[in-house]
Amino acid sequence: MALISIPLPAHRSIQFNFSSLNGTIRLLSNRRVQLALMILVPILLLTVFRPFLPIPGPLETNLRAMTKPPSFVHLFGTDRMGRDILSRTLAGVQISMFVGFAVALLSLTVGLVMGTLAGFFGGVIDRVMMTITDIFLAFPSLLLAIGLVSVMGTGMLPVVLAISLSDVPRFIRLQRSLVLSLRSRAYIDAARTVKASQMWLMTRHIVPNTLAPLLVAASIAAANAILVEAGLSFLGLGIMPPAPSLGNLIRDGQTYLEQAWWISTLPGAVILLIAISLHFLSDGIRQVLDPRSRK
Amino acid sequence: MLTYSFKRLVQLFVTVLGVVTLVFFTMRLIPGDPISAMAGDNLSGAALDQMRGQMGLNDPLPVQYLTYLGRLAVLDFGTTVTTKLPIVGLILGALPVTVSIALGTIFLTVLISIPLGTLAAYMAHKGNRMLDNIITGVAMVLDLMPPFWTSLVCLLIFSLTLGWFPASGTVSLDDPAMLLRRIALPVLVLSMAQIATLARITRTSVLEVLNEDYVRTARSMGWSELHVLFRHALKNAALPIVTVIGLSFGNLLNGTVIVEFIFTLPGIGNLLVGGMNSRDYQMVQTLIVFYAMIFVAINFTTDLIYRVFDPRVQF
Repeated sequence: MALISIPLPAHRSIQFNFSSLNGTIRLLSNRRVQLALMILVPILLLTVFRPFLPIPGPLETNLRAMTKPPSFVHLFGTDRMGRDILSRTLAGVQISMFVGFAVALLSLTVGLVMGTLAGFFGGVIDRVMMTITDIFLAFPSLLLAIGLVSVMGTGMLPVVLAISLSDVPRFIRLQRSLVLSLRSRAYIDAARTVKASQMWLMTRHIVPNTLAPLLVAASIAAANAILVEAGLSFLGLGIMPPAPSLGNLIRDGQTYLEQAWWISTLPGAVILLIAISLHFLSDGIRQVLDPRSRK
Repeated sequence: MLTYSFKRLVQLFVTVLGVVTLVFFTMRLIPGDPISAMAGDNLSGAALDQMRGQMGLNDPLPVQYLTYLGRLAVLDFGTTVTTKLPIVGLILGALPVTVSIALGTIFLTVLISIPLGTLAAYMAHKGNRMLDNIITGVAMVLDLMPPFWTSLVCLLIFSLTLGWFPASGTVSLDDPAMLLRRIALPVLVLSMAQIATLARITRTSVLEVLNEDYVRTARSMGWSELHVLFRHALKNAALPIVTVIGLSFGNLLNGTVIVEFIFTLPGIGNLLVGGMNSRDYQMVQTLIVFYAMIFVAINFTTDLIYRVFDPRVQF
């Protein structure tokens, strides 16, 4: 079997070993990845170490500092109950990141399994699954999420499930097309000739080679999930207050837009930064993986 | 061509039927049922039962499902749970606002992004990476700005600070001037996100065409650069652009829900959010099906346009 596992040049182009030092260095020396990390790492560090920072807690009210504009004491200002916006934003980032990560992981896993089955076996399984994904793809994503939340109720779990459900069909489609293109490669035929089992072919020869493109799609899905969660919460259909989700913060400030611009705009700018950096990250990973796009 | 359209139409029908079925059975999964959700704790068991009987909720599920399909076939969407108004009437009343926003957005998007994308492609083709990078970079940032945030920022700058556009006021088709002023900002906000996608696709497809032999031939025949760019390159790059306009419609529908909510415009997006907040499941169910149908119909049309205008596409 060892002989067959040696990758042929044709499929090495999309193989990428993340555990190897060489791969990590190549990834880290990509300009876009660097830019993404320059934004993401500080935000993540601040979020993780928020409890140790000299700022009030996200739910702590202070009646002596109501609706104060940004200053050195409150970098992002305070809301009408004197809560520190910076602290609330960082707590919101924590929720957003969790939602983004959970959605990416969930839809990647389900998409991987179902897409591999559909692409590898074809036939009836494939047709049934494609019809079902067609039905799900007939809904614009935010609207599907709204519909699902109306059934499952609001809160963290329903929101993650609702957003994942609208992403899963896309992952199934992607994985299916990747598997279809790999299935007819010569090295798979080679493995078949020495009686490699279906399971072996799928898990050892096909799936590992689809992981890289899936990972690119997952980081875009994470960025998208963060935006959709914020949208849902903004409409009052996502994560419920007083939990400081970024969408909730923006919704809170909407009423006071004229008197206190900072309540809505600053948390929104943070969402934008996170979304941009996740896109840079996926762009960078793609550049590293795809030799044609390297200049 | 005819066989293909027919096949696609059958596929479309299956998808729509699937959408309706999915929505119907998901709505029945709600713990409790619509009646107890709307009645709260104020009604006795007998009264609830009577109401269920009136709405046909005591029938077996397959019977309910077929009744629902039968009603949909004659476009009877029922009435809202709370106010007992016919839902079709509400949707038709709200549709013009949403349609004006959508059309306005598509118009503005095409007007800005096609020249912009063509310019970026031309610059990249000529080896001027700087302008190309700037346009591409700006397009990406615009694409990722959450529409609800952009709306608030625009509202803050253009309505509250500069006072150029009214932030509130009645909207109706009888007063087109007011309608235009009220939808100007929402259209601007939605266009920002759409411009990015469209400009990027325009850039890619024009750039591809600029490397074709016939463009070189046109140049060598002495046509001016502008003529080559717009008559030869853009014309041949138009197909993917049209497709993307069609495909980005889903995003546009998502966006209308948000801007209608923020700018308090009485479109169908606002009906949806209102329906969610008053727990009017009948309304939400109908609107979700309605949105899905619009989306599917537009995708279908885009697909057909693509095949009609590209002779290379095989059937």
